[in-house]
Amino acid sequence: MATAARAEREAVRDRRPNRPDWVTFSTMVLLALFGLLMIYSATRATGAVSMERQMIFVAAGVVVYLLSSMIDYRDYRHLTPYFYAIVLVLLVAVFFFPERQGARRWIDLPFFDLQPAELAKVVVVLAIASILAPHSRDDDTPGVSWSKVGLVLATVAIPSTLIFRQPDLGTMLVFIFVMMAMLFAGGATWRQLTTLTVAGLGTAYFLYRADRIAEYQLNRIRVLVDPTIDPQGIGYNLSQSKLAIGSGQMFGRGLFQGTQTNFRYVPEQETDFIFTAVAEQLGFVGGLVVLVAFMILIWRTLAVAGAARDRFGALIAVGVAATLMFHVFINIGMTMGITPVTGLPLPFLSLGGSSFLTLAFALGIVNSIWLRRSPVPGETYVV
Amino acid sequence: MKFSVRLAALGFIFTGLFAVLGLRLWFVQVAEGAEIAESAQELAWQTRYFEAPRGDIFDRTGELVVTSRYVPAIEVNRMFIKPGQRADLIQRLSSVTGIPAPEIDAMYEAAGINGRFVVGVVSIDTAFELATRLADYPGVELIKVPERVYLAGLDLAHVVGHLGLPTDSDLEGNPDLDPTVRIGQLGVEKVYDEFLRGTPGRFEFRAARGEIIEVGPETEPEPGDSVYLALDLSLQEVVTRALLDGIDLANEAKAVQRARGETVFSEATRGAALVLDATTGQVLSLVSHPTFDPQAFVSGLDQETFDRLRESRAFNNLAVSGLYPPASTFKAITYTAAEQFRLPFPSDEAGVDPANRRVHCNGRMVLSLTDGSQQVKHDWYTGDKGWLDIHSALEQSCNIYFWSVGLGVWRNRASLEPNILQNFAADLGYGARTGIDLTGEASGTIPTPELFEEWKEFQLANPHVPPRLEPSRLELPGGPFLGGDLMDLAIGQGALTATPLQVAVSYAALVNGGRVLQPAVVAEIHNAGGEVIYRHEPTVSRTVEIDPAVRSSLLSDLGRVVTQGTARAAFTTFGPGLSEIGGKTGTGQTTRSRDNHAWFVGVAPLSNPRFIVVVLIEEGGSGGQVAAPVARHILQYLMGNEPTPIVQGEEAD
Repeated sequence: MATAARAEREAVRDRRPNRPDWVTFSTMVLLALFGLLMIYSATRATGAVSMERQMIFVAAGVVVYLLSSMIDYRDYRHLTPYFYAIVLVLLVAVFFFPERQGARRWIDLPFFDLQPAELAKVVVVLAIASILAPHSRDDDTPGVSWSKVGLVLATVAIPSTLIFRQPDLGTMLVFIFVMMAMLFAGGATWRQLTTLTVAGLGTAYFLYRADRIAEYQLNRIRVLVDPTIDPQGIGYNLSQSKLAIGSGQMFGRGLFQGTQTNFRYVPEQETDFIFTAVAEQLGFVGGLVVLVAFMILIWRTLAVAGAARDRFGALIAVGVAATLMFHVFINIGMTMGITPVTGLPLPFLSLGGSSFLTLAFALGIVNSIWLRRSPVPGETYVV
Repeated sequence: MKFSVRLAALGFIFTGLFAVLGLRLWFVQVAEGAEIAESAQELAWQTRYFEAPRGDIFDRTGELVVTSRYVPAIEVNRMFIKPGQRADLIQRLSSVTGIPAPEIDAMYEAAGINGRFVVGVVSIDTAFELATRLADYPGVELIKVPERVYLAGLDLAHVVGHLGLPTDSDLEGNPDLDPTVRIGQLGVEKVYDEFLRGTPGRFEFRAARGEIIEVGPETEPEPGDSVYLALDLSLQEVVTRALLDGIDLANEAKAVQRARGETVFSEATRGAALVLDATTGQVLSLVSHPTFDPQAFVSGLDQETFDRLRESRAFNNLAVSGLYPPASTFKAITYTAAEQFRLPFPSDEAGVDPANRRVHCNGRMVLSLTDGSQQVKHDWYTGDKGWLDIHSALEQSCNIYFWSVGLGVWRNRASLEPNILQNFAADLGYGARTGIDLTGEASGTIPTPELFEEWKEFQLANPHVPPRLEPSRLELPGGPFLGGDLMDLAIGQGALTATPLQVAVSYAALVNGGRVLQPAVVAEIHNAGGEVIYRHEPTVSRTVEIDPAVRSSLLSDLGRVVTQGTARAAFTTFGPGLSEIGGKTGTGQTTRSRDNHAWFVGVAPLSNPRFIVVVLIEEGGSGGQVAAPVARHILQYLMGNEPTPIVQGEEAD
């Protein structure tokens, strides 16, 4: 008794206010500023992109980050069903807006075009976390019940189906990856994970046999094996991107010196293929710096998951880390020809508002979790 | 598993994914980077070539016979076509040009990624119509392409040749060749291709994603040099018509023979005729039949027609690639050798008077062979022409006389220079290519004991290859070459083969003082500025010593052939100046199942020989009957007489 009382006294004595996660914040801001420079380098020849607009997005992102840091993430828990409903409405709404480049992904707003699928990425993370986290202090069943697995699956399936129909295969794959990572972290058994994997592969096979996957989507996978497929389309992107990256070599051709970048041999270089601009101009060293920056972000986010005061916060952090990881791996891998071309942006670097604001919001939530961890070092909560 | 362990597992997996990215980045940028950087550099600039119009070809009088003109054509640049537009575009191009869609699709495929191809030449009307709607056709451009025009048509086909896309072997040796631009594949078009080809214009640019982003300097194509042939187009037309009439004449004669119940194996379908300038070696006319239309290669020749033409040997220039026994035309060579070297006659042969160099031409020669048996050789005529000297023997084309010359050489071979007759023939150009500036020349064969020995060895080593020598010869103790072979050689038969051009070159040497000339069909080449960059000078391959006395006696005896000898009947209508004409008939025997080849070699004017006319009608029958009238007709034209119709001469050797 005496020792317990002393421990409590010492804890009270050591208790001090938590500080924000400055490492994550500064890494995010540096990546965003670096992204601005890269977007400029890739588009300055044509001037087709408004740099001011992207700067406003970056500034807005910082504000969103700070605001969401201040909100207690635990408040989201009872709001999640409403968020989820709103996102579903928005995902249905895109089908009433005009088609662009063969897809319906956007809702035209006065200042920018909202992509609900980006917003859905955060909301799905919140929804899965709130399902998997125990609902009361009494709820201490280890692992995840089959009914929860089913609920998670349904939660992911509805927006996935809508997004698949936009069509946007990439975002759907983000959901699947994030769901698997969160189920694993949430305590799902190997049997549950294996069952889901088999079911997922079965569905994919069914979609393929039922011709529900478009030829161009299949080509994006085939082209990894045989780059001569569709040389004017996806094959062209890939070979040009690889040429651009390869010609960067160890130290790059220098900022604004890349011929591939300057002449825009690589299409979509300010958005999905932004990494080629980095790698051509700044070489292996520059590319490695970007990779390390993302490693820091993801490592910090996983550290937040470890330090969170409850399972809800921990699972949110895992979900955000998985989201970042999947984007980085698929996007950078795509530019180097090892992953399929899916249209996923590179977080914080690619041109675009929705993605930037969503990810800033997600990292803000992570910071909120960090700020609200136990003020006592090493202290963990049961729930 | 505790939460912290699961988190660590996730961290481990994520680190693995980062490692994959980092390694791939290292691989692309550092390990393979230098190589990739190089190919990126190459991609940066592209060059577009504009085909240069090929140079013109004129005849010796300056008449245009082959030229180039610009015609509108449709070009497709795959770089500017999106994948979804392909099928529709090909369909529409097919309806515009009339070329079947699958063919255009094949061209599209063959052009390769970002490649370019010319769909086809279109009419001016189509071009104008298309020009107004060009915006509807992505990647389609109207361009002008040079097109070859053969004004002389079939008459000059074997000399000027034709064009064709470069073959794989052409491209292998020449990296500068554009695989889509036709080059010379035959004749002057091929031999003088480098002069005629010109320099393509070029335009450099950088393009990415279907858009030109930077352009470099542009140069106009430079047309090729102009080639002036040694040939005279008017003469060529006369010779062509004469040869065709000669072939008809041969077939008429065959019809008569058939009616008389004589054996006729086949119709005459092929022949060659040429006129050589004996002083310069320039070819004034050269005709081979059957022929082809070089224009057909421009508009596109279908496989069926091509195969049919090839089967009929229409692409073979028989004047330079056809090998035939020169037959009695070769007696002029034996004549000159016999007189000049005073070749000995056989001493104890009945019907031969070695002291007076006379032979009894009574139609059959009885030979006493070494084993004591006798062999009878029949001459081409029947009856008794009496005891002839060499002059009458040439005039009458007496085989027995020249057999005797061959036999005399064989019997006395120990005391004579080895292969004296063969060496003389080789010096005059037999057995080797003349070096004419045309494609496909053949070299022919001069039979010697050494060659027969080679054949024998080859035959023994390769028993499955069809034999060239009869099996009985392989076992002869003295080797496979016999006295009979030398006797056959003396009358231009046996294993001796030659092209009509070789025969012309040898006669030219006999009458021009022994200069064996390298024949030429091109007289001059002018560059685009009109400057003469090449002028043909007589090229003497070899000089053979010819006794002037023998030369003049040969010339007068060749004259006797047309006035009183085997070609007398064919030349009766010659008109004034017949005394200036000489010639020699020939009737070449091949196998027992083919008709004879009809030959005539004409020489004019005898006082100062300039023209050598050679006529050969394959399986045409008698030289005196069929070939001599053709040569007479040509010689009439050359000597300024009105050419008279080609009618049968006398059926003579």
